Amino acid sequence: MTVSFTKVTSLLSVLSVLSVTTIAAWAADPSTAATPAKPARLTAAPHWAYQPVQPQVVPNVKHTKWVHTPIDAFVAAKLEEKGLEPSVEADRGTLIRRATLDVLGYIPTPQETQAFIKDRSPDAYEKLVDRLLASPHYGERQARRWLDLARYADSTGFQNDQTRPNMWRYRDYVIGSFNDNKPYDQFVKEQLAGDEIAPNDKSALIATGFLAGYPDNRNSRDLVQRKYQITTDMVDTVGAVFLGQSVACARCHDHKFDKISAKEYFQLQAFFANVSEVNDIPAEVGDVERQYRKAQTAWETATQDIRAQRTALVQPYLAHAIQYQKERYLTDSRTSIFKAQSEWNAHDRWINHRWHNVTADDEFGGYLREIAENKENPDYKPENQKLWEKYKQLGEELKKFDSLKPKQGSDTITATTELGHPDAPPTYLFFGGDHERPLEEVQPSFPAAIANGAKPNIRPTSTSSGRRTALAEWLASAENPLTARVFVNRVWAQYFGTGLVRTVSDFGKAGERPSHPELLDYLADTFVKSGWSVKQLHRSILLSSVYRQASTVTDKAYAEDPENRLLASFPRRRLDAEQIRDSLLVAAGKLDPTLGGPSVFAPLPTELKAGNLWQPPSNPQDQYRRSLYIFTRRSIAYPLLSSFDMSSPQQVHSKRDVTTTPLQALTLYNSELVLQWSQALAGRVIREAGGNESAQLDRLYQILFARKPHKVERATLHAFLDQHANVLKEKSADGRLSLAVPIGLESKERSAIDPVRTAALVDLVHTVANSNDFTYRF
Amino acid sequence: MSKSFSRRELLLHAGYGAGGLVLSSALPGGGLFAAPVPAEAAIDPLAPKATHFPAKIKSVIWLHMDGAPSTLDLYDYKPDLVKLNGQEVPESFLKGIKTSTQGGVGKLFASNRSWKQYGASGAWFSDLLPNIAQHADSLAFIKSSKTIGATHDISILKLNTGDLNPGRPTLGAWITYALGSANSDLPPYVVLYSGNKEPSGGSINWSAGFLPAVYQGTAFRPGDSPILHLNRPEVVSSTQQRENLDLLKRLNTNSAARHPHDTELRARLNAYELAYRMETAAPEAVDFGKESEATKRLYGLDDEATRAYGTNMLRARRLVERGVRFIQVVSGPLEILADADDRNWDAHQDLEQNHGAHARAVDKPIAGLLSDLKSRGLLDSTLVVWTSEFSRTPYGQSGTGRDHNPWGYTQWLAGGGVKAGYTHGRTDEIGLKAVENPVDTYDLHATVLQLLGLDHLRVTFANNGRAERPTVVYGEVIKDVLA
Repeated sequence: MTVSFTKVTSLLSVLSVLSVTTIAAWAADPSTAATPAKPARLTAAPHWAYQPVQPQVVPNVKHTKWVHTPIDAFVAAKLEEKGLEPSVEADRGTLIRRATLDVLGYIPTPQETQAFIKDRSPDAYEKLVDRLLASPHYGERQARRWLDLARYADSTGFQNDQTRPNMWRYRDYVIGSFNDNKPYDQFVKEQLAGDEIAPNDKSALIATGFLAGYPDNRNSRDLVQRKYQITTDMVDTVGAVFLGQSVACARCHDHKFDKISAKEYFQLQAFFANVSEVNDIPAEVGDVERQYRKAQTAWETATQDIRAQRTALVQPYLAHAIQYQKERYLTDSRTSIFKAQSEWNAHDRWINHRWHNVTADDEFGGYLREIAENKENPDYKPENQKLWEKYKQLGEELKKFDSLKPKQGSDTITATTELGHPDAPPTYLFFGGDHERPLEEVQPSFPAAIANGAKPNIRPTSTSSGRRTALAEWLASAENPLTARVFVNRVWAQYFGTGLVRTVSDFGKAGERPSHPELLDYLADTFVKSGWSVKQLHRSILLSSVYRQASTVTDKAYAEDPENRLLASFPRRRLDAEQIRDSLLVAAGKLDPTLGGPSVFAPLPTELKAGNLWQPPSNPQDQYRRSLYIFTRRSIAYPLLSSFDMSSPQQVHSKRDVTTTPLQALTLYNSELVLQWSQALAGRVIREAGGNESAQLDRLYQILFARKPHKVERATLHAFLDQHANVLKEKSADGRLSLAVPIGLESKERSAIDPVRTAALVDLVHTVANSNDFTYRF
Repeated sequence: MSKSFSRRELLLHAGYGAGGLVLSSALPGGGLFAAPVPAEAAIDPLAPKATHFPAKIKSVIWLHMDGAPSTLDLYDYKPDLVKLNGQEVPESFLKGIKTSTQGGVGKLFASNRSWKQYGASGAWFSDLLPNIAQHADSLAFIKSSKTIGATHDISILKLNTGDLNPGRPTLGAWITYALGSANSDLPPYVVLYSGNKEPSGGSINWSAGFLPAVYQGTAFRPGDSPILHLNRPEVVSSTQQRENLDLLKRLNTNSAARHPHDTELRARLNAYELAYRMETAAPEAVDFGKESEATKRLYGLDDEATRAYGTNMLRARRLVERGVRFIQVVSGPLEILADADDRNWDAHQDLEQNHGAHARAVDKPIAGLLSDLKSRGLLDSTLVVWTSEFSRTPYGQSGTGRDHNPWGYTQWLAGGGVKAGYTHGRTDEIGLKAVENPVDTYDLHATVLQLLGLDHLRVTFANNGRAERPTVVYGEVIKDVLA
């Protein structure tokens, strides 16, 4: 469903005369803009991004033939101001490659390309866009961008970097939300407060994995500091992701630029004061859960006796062991963990839940060593050494059964909840951000500069404080000046490489102003009015002439606008890490299109010794899954992806960089994996094109670039094959005959070919896959 | 300045010089974008950049003693601790610190050390470091170091990035960002470690954080081929690859001609040539074939106990010779010590055995490095920093070990611009807390930057609307340790 352009323009043109002057003035200098509906408390001019989103009038422009959608009119208006011409539409091959990469995340097949090129119907492109948006792989591509923001990982990070076995459910929730075209306001609410809004809805609980994904060091001896750091992570994440505000600065001092006071910062923290991580909510049982339980039960049965013996060894000392373990925590943590449950306040409840979460079942065995070795311990006896030896030996026995443990998956959900209690611990304003220096107590509230008078409507439930629901309702309201603007700008940046506001996660005063303020508000306004329809937003951008332009830059445009902020042409861009890997797999005919499920372990280069933090693929197909399913271990970036500026999962990752380094070159041309994929691609080329080399070159280019080779390229490639076959012949003549030949051929096809000549083809394929035409989309 | 560059734009203009990246405050808003971009130079984010003021040194060797050695048993001689051995810690010493043991900390514990003064400076060394002791007059001690944290991982993060949470760039990444590369055939920021496993915490400790990934450290792993994907696939010969790359060059040149204004495309063309050269340059940098036997002995390569760390020290010298800016060396692990805790300096039990082995593993190699740098005239242009995430308490733990001490410990500097033979600050009489001229991580970082010719306040990067700098919002150059 989209609003048709004609209706919109006719409707808006009525209003145009009325508001055009105000908008023009606002656009020229946001700081002197008209007063917003509700005056902010500031005496200085309000910041443009904190004013309510204004409905926009689509400008009248000269390039009427070029303009297809309202977006085009806004872009054309700016170009005309500069006397620049927009570009013509890209050729069909370029267009389908671009759109398929952008929407699905990998290259189109030659069949898809041919069908599109041959489709002479006037809505051929619309049909392409609708097909792409309807594909379930759209959700995967969009999810990956969202996971960047959610600092998604399958492990906790820090030194021990434990596996978080349930987080993949959150990843699948995100994929599903995009595929179902879940309204963005609902998407926001579920991730922030799913447990409060729909406590019995497992999907809503999984959604709160957004909050629960913080980096964590579970061995920290300072539980109170961890509470503060975890809350800080949540607030900073929410601020950057939804509001496009770096609120973090206000933690230590009143924000220099954005008029967010330190007090207001801690008022935001108060929304999260009662939030705990819960990891043991039973998941709905499907295949994954059944397989997991089967393996888990097998391990439990096989190890029952050993585990019972271990427990029996510790049992006589258990009370002392727990006491000893708790004493290792810092002073203020100890206050809570030594308190009887009947005396717990909300803060103690949080601390004790945390203690329980981070204390492993077999943690107390270590006490046997203490009483065997530490002469100062009252339980010390020299003969305890035997107990400790026995305990260690049983541990070795236990390890022998590790292979029975479930290789992947889980049968539980990770969520954040308030542990069934509506009373939240107090939140304080901390002096200089130091949690050991509390000043006044603060209550949940929105930053005044942004809120335009909105106040949180907190309605506690029987099991939760209701605070996050109130925050989520404000964030996801049409009146919030930032939420819609920030999101539409992110989607825009995804297509054009640069946001209308270039600082995509900073809409504060230190951020940049929008290049096209009216367009930004037009997109935000229509987005909210469409019922926060994400697919409709994507569709409106994809259908614009701006998006469909060729990427050739004219001298004039380059001289006037070297940064191409005005978009006189389509900005070419290097592929993302995942687009490169996934497209190589598509080209090789290897990509496994399975949607969702537990994260997989793709092979690591043998030089990378990850020990027990990585495991061999549990299924040979795992190495061919899409990149977003590769296990995200916070301490071990997957090399093939990390070389190409893959996002870092340590904190909100707003924008993929494009760096160009020798290490990338090494990765692509020396990786054994990539060479194997090139061999498979060469095999595919021969299978599909037959023995004629010219036809093979055509096929290769159709697969990789959605076009045939240009004349010069073709000549270069033929010359290479001739010359290179000679080099390989010499090499194979020395008797070692190590040649990489095409793989995936039938024996009949294999017998018909010259191994040296096809080994030259493998090198050609491998080289062409390394070229700029592959790693960029134009 | 309030103008905030996205990372990509920044890279496009990185070569703008000197100033483009480092002295961003000196540029008028947007001025950077107004001028035309010189093609090739502009695109290389690692192009050499100017310093703020003349540098004293070209390279830094950052020796991270992993696991936190007890500097009380190495450098910080405390006769009172020996006298009070076995007694409770006097209450006055514990004021203002938050310990992690209920019901009082362990009893004061003096290990079985003998102490001597060395050199004209008379610096104290224990019997654990007889070789480094010979360099007493080359070192500047900071005996009043302090940091935050009770666990290794957050304090190691702080040691390297200044923050307790992951996400910030490490010191090496900041330096690479600010200065670029002095040798395009090698990565400018290299991390060395040994053992059969990645160091715990992993690449986060040499990460570029919010800086572009190009500034992160490159791990040089043990073995002949130190960088991932450095070796050609087994079936590809050198001639074969050269031909492939020539084809690639032709294809990319041809494609770049269709986009004449596009410097990024041309940079990528260049990256493949650099990579090809790196295939030779990186193995050559770690090939000891041309090192004399005497040199190898100097680093302890002839002894099983010192070979692994000695190899990294000799690698470090060779990397310094080749213009690498920042070499971060993680000590350990020692597999010979059976217990998992003993893989590094984390001696909660049996300090005697643990520190005996770890000190032995590093003492001769570090002394060898200092001698070798000196004899080759490289010490004047190199900074060696001996550092750790924190240290260990004067009170005992488990009867034979020591707990973590972030309140007062020793680190040292040696090399260009350093006041050799000087001791800065001190701890209290039992070596628990810094009581004079305390030095935090940020101060150390600021000082390293200063020696490299960089003002830590002026090395900035705009991230999400905030002008970030290496020392967060802290840091003061320790002027007293500068020559």
